[in-house]
Amino acid sequence: MSTVALERDVATQGRVIVALTERALRVQMRRAQFLLPSFLLPLLLLAVIASGTSAAQQLPGFPSTGSYVGFVVSGTIMQGTLLAGLMAGIAIASDIEGGFFDRLLSAPVNRASIVLGRVLGTAVIGIAQAVLFLSVALAFGADFPGGIVGVALAILLAALSASAAAGLGAAIALRTGSLSLMQNLFPFVFVLLFIAPAFFPRELLSPVLETISVVNPLSYVVEGMRGALFDSSALGSVALGFAAAAGSVLLTCALAVWAMRARVRS
Amino acid sequence: MNGAEKLGRRTDATIEAEGLERVYPGGLRAVDGVDLAVEAGEIYGFLGPNGAGKSTTVRILTTLLRPTAGHARVAGYDVVKQASQVRRSIGVALQEAALDPLMTGRELLQLQGALHGLRRAESRSRAEQLLERVDLVDAADRLLNTYSGGMRRRLDLAMALVHRPSVLFLDEPTTGLDPVSRSSLWGELRSLNDEGTTIFLTTQYLEEAEQLADRVGIIDHGKIVAEGTPQELGRLVGDPGLYVKLIDPSQSDRARELLAVHGSVSDRGEGCLSLRTVLGARAIAPIVRTLDEAQIEVDAVEVEEPTLDDVFLAVTGHRAEEPGEDGSP
Repeated sequence: MSTVALERDVATQGRVIVALTERALRVQMRRAQFLLPSFLLPLLLLAVIASGTSAAQQLPGFPSTGSYVGFVVSGTIMQGTLLAGLMAGIAIASDIEGGFFDRLLSAPVNRASIVLGRVLGTAVIGIAQAVLFLSVALAFGADFPGGIVGVALAILLAALSASAAAGLGAAIALRTGSLSLMQNLFPFVFVLLFIAPAFFPRELLSPVLETISVVNPLSYVVEGMRGALFDSSALGSVALGFAAAAGSVLLTCALAVWAMRARVRS
Repeated sequence: MNGAEKLGRRTDATIEAEGLERVYPGGLRAVDGVDLAVEAGEIYGFLGPNGAGKSTTVRILTTLLRPTAGHARVAGYDVVKQASQVRRSIGVALQEAALDPLMTGRELLQLQGALHGLRRAESRSRAEQLLERVDLVDAADRLLNTYSGGMRRRLDLAMALVHRPSVLFLDEPTTGLDPVSRSSLWGELRSLNDEGTTIFLTTQYLEEAEQLADRVGIIDHGKIVAEGTPQELGRLVGDPGLYVKLIDPSQSDRARELLAVHGSVSDRGEGCLSLRTVLGARAIAPIVRTLDEAQIEVDAVEVEEPTLDDVFLAVTGHRAEEPGEDGSP
């Protein structure tokens, strides 16, 4: 392919990805069944945890982060991005079952672009979630010593986390094509959260959970977020957080593209 | 030199298939050795009951499904090896008009434009043109879940036309539509064909094929069992049929005896008779006269157009079967 043709092809696929990202966002924002789990449910859980378990802050080994909401909000962001990823998978399964997916496949579009459009749309939702949840935490007394840079890094981690979750959701949806299966994955999001130090520091998890949390990439992402927000390497390594998030994005998106190719071949 | 010539392909859009087969995992042979040759500018009707293999054939020709054997070329490109070029050349409107209910008509058309590589401004103006063409300007900014069946089909057709394809595949475009919407869609398809678009359409209705198609292929159990113009297929049923309804059913036996001179008569009960005659509609006057002279009052005499079922029965020896046999996705 000549350089000009290659540039034209890249520009065309760029337009396709932008159009699919816009569609993912638009439809997500119009559907209450997508919005409630992604935005309202994490806020409700934040309120419950912040008011019900704030005494945990008095436990020995609990790091000093000022308000408890400030500590927990990173877990809320993780929860939101995981649910947004699941919603992305549900949206794809719904496109497959409703036949809209065939419309995408019958267009001269690179298969990876279809996955990327959905992943980018979810990344934007991850950013919106992080901005909303951090604002709520600030309004309820949280203080982030990491300042603007810390908040920006946490938001970036949220975008990556949402992308990774969308990649995983897309991979499962594309492999199975089943809307009901995707809807039944809902409880697993909470399992993933509870085997990571989402709401409590790793030291306060039970020994079994602590061991499992070592291999859960979410652990490093949520700790990296805290490290950035509180400008504290004791709370978590920002670099490790980015490495875990970026690695998860690459892995899950590769899985999704593979699942797409397998679906098209079958 | 036009775009097609630059790409070094044949300029006449055609659909060709040779020994096309599709066996689903589990062994179901949905398409079983289909051969097709559709000329550029033709409207080809692909007829068959649910589960006969129509949709599977269309999915293969539109690159959505790979054949397990055989070859097919659309617009000069191989559907497996040159799938991307095929997708650029074809417009597709699949069964049930699968449209996102949470998008507006305009948004869907613009998305389709972007999927076919149009720039934003181009996509916008093309959407505007097509909304006018299919008479959806007033509904353009409404969500799809407020559209009627006919509006959805018109939008579906408009989406298939965004990139000005040379070949159009329509899978049962009028199933479930009321007669007015059906007739308006037929008009649109005729005018597209007049502009040079080759149309491959599947249908369960012989009437639809007769109204639109230059040639018709009938598929049953994955095989093409008859092919020809609608008139040729209609003739496969045999002599044209007439339906005679008597006012007094008790005169059926007498009427049957009298009408036997005009052709073969069968009693359908309740004073209704069927007559097969080479004369067709020209037999109406003589049979009314015959019955009148015998003082048998006639309620109605109608020409019976052969139905898909009749053609089916004639070429396959069995009636069109019920849905679900295909099992295709």
